[in-house]
Amino acid sequence: MPIVFAELNKEVKIVKLLVDEDTRKHLQNLGIFVGATIKVISSTFGNLILAIKESRLAINKDVAAKILVA
Amino acid sequence: MLHFALVGNPNSGKTTLFNSLTGSTARVGNWAGVTVEKTTGKYKKLEEEIEIIDLPGIYSLSPYTPEEIVSRNFIIDEKPDCVINIVDATNLERNLYLTTQLLEMDVPVVIALNMSDAVKKQGKEINIETLSKKLNVPIVEISALKNSGLTELMEVALEASKNPRKGQLIFDNEEISHLISDIKIALSLSNISNPLFHAVKLAELDKIEVQSHQDLLPIVDEYKASHKDNIYGDDYETLITAARYKYISKNFSGVIVQKEKTESTTKSDKIDKVFTHKFWGIPIFLVIIFLIFHFTFGNDLFYMGKMGLKIDNEIAVNYFTGMRYSGEAIFGIPSLGVWLHNWLTCGTESLIDLVRLGFTNIGMESSWITGLICDGVLTGLSSVIGFIPQILLLFAFISILEDSGYMARIAFVLDKTFRNIGLSGKAFIPMITGFGCSVPAIMATRTLQDEREKNRTIRLITCFSCGAKAPIWTLLASVATIALGLGDLFIFTIYLGGILIAILCSLFMKALSKDKKVPPLIMELPAYRLPQIKNVGTRVWHKLKHYLIEAGTVIAISLVIIWGLQSFGWDSAGNFGYIPEYIEGSFLAYIGKGITYVFYPLGWTIGEDGWKYMVSAITGLVAKENVVGTMASLGLMKDTISLSTAGIYAFASFNLLTLPCMATIATAKSEQSTKQFIITLLYWFFISYFMSGYIYWVGTLTINIWWLGLIAILSTIAVIVITLFLLNRKTKRNIALAK
Repeated sequence: MPIVFAELNKEVKIVKLLVDEDTRKHLQNLGIFVGATIKVISSTFGNLILAIKESRLAINKDVAAKILVA
Repeated sequence: MLHFALVGNPNSGKTTLFNSLTGSTARVGNWAGVTVEKTTGKYKKLEEEIEIIDLPGIYSLSPYTPEEIVSRNFIIDEKPDCVINIVDATNLERNLYLTTQLLEMDVPVVIALNMSDAVKKQGKEINIETLSKKLNVPIVEISALKNSGLTELMEVALEASKNPRKGQLIFDNEEISHLISDIKIALSLSNISNPLFHAVKLAELDKIEVQSHQDLLPIVDEYKASHKDNIYGDDYETLITAARYKYISKNFSGVIVQKEKTESTTKSDKIDKVFTHKFWGIPIFLVIIFLIFHFTFGNDLFYMGKMGLKIDNEIAVNYFTGMRYSGEAIFGIPSLGVWLHNWLTCGTESLIDLVRLGFTNIGMESSWITGLICDGVLTGLSSVIGFIPQILLLFAFISILEDSGYMARIAFVLDKTFRNIGLSGKAFIPMITGFGCSVPAIMATRTLQDEREKNRTIRLITCFSCGAKAPIWTLLASVATIALGLGDLFIFTIYLGGILIAILCSLFMKALSKDKKVPPLIMELPAYRLPQIKNVGTRVWHKLKHYLIEAGTVIAISLVIIWGLQSFGWDSAGNFGYIPEYIEGSFLAYIGKGITYVFYPLGWTIGEDGWKYMVSAITGLVAKENVVGTMASLGLMKDTISLSTAGIYAFASFNLLTLPCMATIATAKSEQSTKQFIITLLYWFFISYFMSGYIYWVGTLTINIWWLGLIAILSTIAVIVITLFLLNRKTKRNIALAK
């Protein structure tokens, strides 16, 4: 499911990135890659704040809809 | 001379370290992307001088934004003697991801483990020896902020720079290691430096790499065809990324040992629950911005005057508020900005009186020398300098916003709103920086990876009134007070109006562009921290120095030129000479009136004093502080400005939106392609021309015949809405046809 629907403060595993190549590259460098475990800590109308290890990452709804997690 | 480069993730403390090492005062802040260009400085405490190069922060060596390319190219092409990799200990695993890539290069690397004190404060322990052994490079614990460990770091780096190092592969995937070593051998045969690094990048099919090594692509393709990974397919880039992270978490997650149990939500997360809240986020932001302007420009801090409380003109109050002018009743307590402004103006004006008295005493009262010094230079400079406290205060507030980490949150909170007008929230960081100064604002647009968004943001920067334009508003506010009741309300409407115009222009830019896709927002949110007095102080001090130097050079020179043009000419009898009393015959009047013909449609340029306003606005091209300076020497002061309310707003909007100062124009030129830059200049000229004219005529109409004005305003809104609708529909159809 897209990470937009993930439960808050619960660890989820990334299974697919549907974004374009450049965006995917950037996400990967920031620790968002297939197989990584992340957590959604805040959601504002689909815009999310993610916790990846110790860092906090803000992403907008369009990107969030293309990150599939399980 | 040896060259050491500082490399690390954005916001890991590189510039703070750089400043500590070299004694420089480069700009620092608590958000990713403060440093957008490399800066160099010298470290002098070792036996030989070392050049330190501060590079923009990068997340990896496969760059995403333009400023990341600066860093990558520097390491590859300039071959520094040692790379000092700053690793933020509070975010170790993510930071080590870049380290694993750096270690693939044939360059000595030393790791500076920054903020380890913060980690220890969280009740954790870092096992440095294990880390150092696994990575096979020296590690020095430092605190860039507290200046500790720096001498040791430099000694270790000097030692390391003497021994050449070969790149090593740090990741966890045997199969792909084979491919990489095959490519590496092929690269080594053709004598390419950094073979391992290039081999890895080639396996990832990195764009820059593929272009420069076309001949080796068949090896990669052949290998890929025979080795398909069952999870990632032939996406080797993801495969390598995963392999790096896997290695890091397998080997280094034990490096930081949690001694005491702490909560999983950090302090920062708790603060974010409030500041990035679904509903309160934007209101909180607006309140903060309002308070900043209120503390800087407010004449009546606690609205005592508004509540009907009048403080009489007593000496004590006069001294307290710095209002030396008698006969003026004071309403309430002014803000710190106004307070300082009053005092400073009081001082400089007394000084001018003193100088004039001196000249009078030696009988030079009507000499041109007295005119040049008192009327030409000092009066203009006094009105410029008088506003410095307010500019600095505004600048300090913005620095505090940047240093606390709130800036990145604003971008997040506003992203949704911004998306509707065709920009991402990230574009707001340059814009809010623009409230301080347009030059760093335009530089900050480099963090926007989308070229179109970058060009739009640069054009919109003038809508965000810079500190140097603030004096114009303050001067006009003292006039507008009569018409509007509250001076700072006028100033607030200027700032708000600027933002509204920016939104409107952005909507048109979006409608006119073929591709309406807004770039995604992906941004790190740094942990909140208390603003560092040192950081804010240095930046304010720098700004002060900058303004004083500017006042003493460019502004003083342009004031002398203006004075010369305005004081010489032909008197009413047609005789050429020094004519301080007959400005109508001066060179400036002839030139100004000539130029003003072009600007007659603007309305406020009509009339006896019209050309003076125009000339003042034009001198703002040199530096925006010049506008009030020129106005003062042309005799347009608080009591002599004769514009109507509509005229004041029209004049203000012209100054706000028109071509910014030279320094800003030069920055825009270096940030944009020639074609885009020319469009920017034309855009700035026409938007100020039309907006100002519109405001004057419709405003005047509304004031005189209100219902006719209302019809004009409503029909304008209708025209805008219909045009936007038609433009959007047209491009939508074009896209559909193309498909």
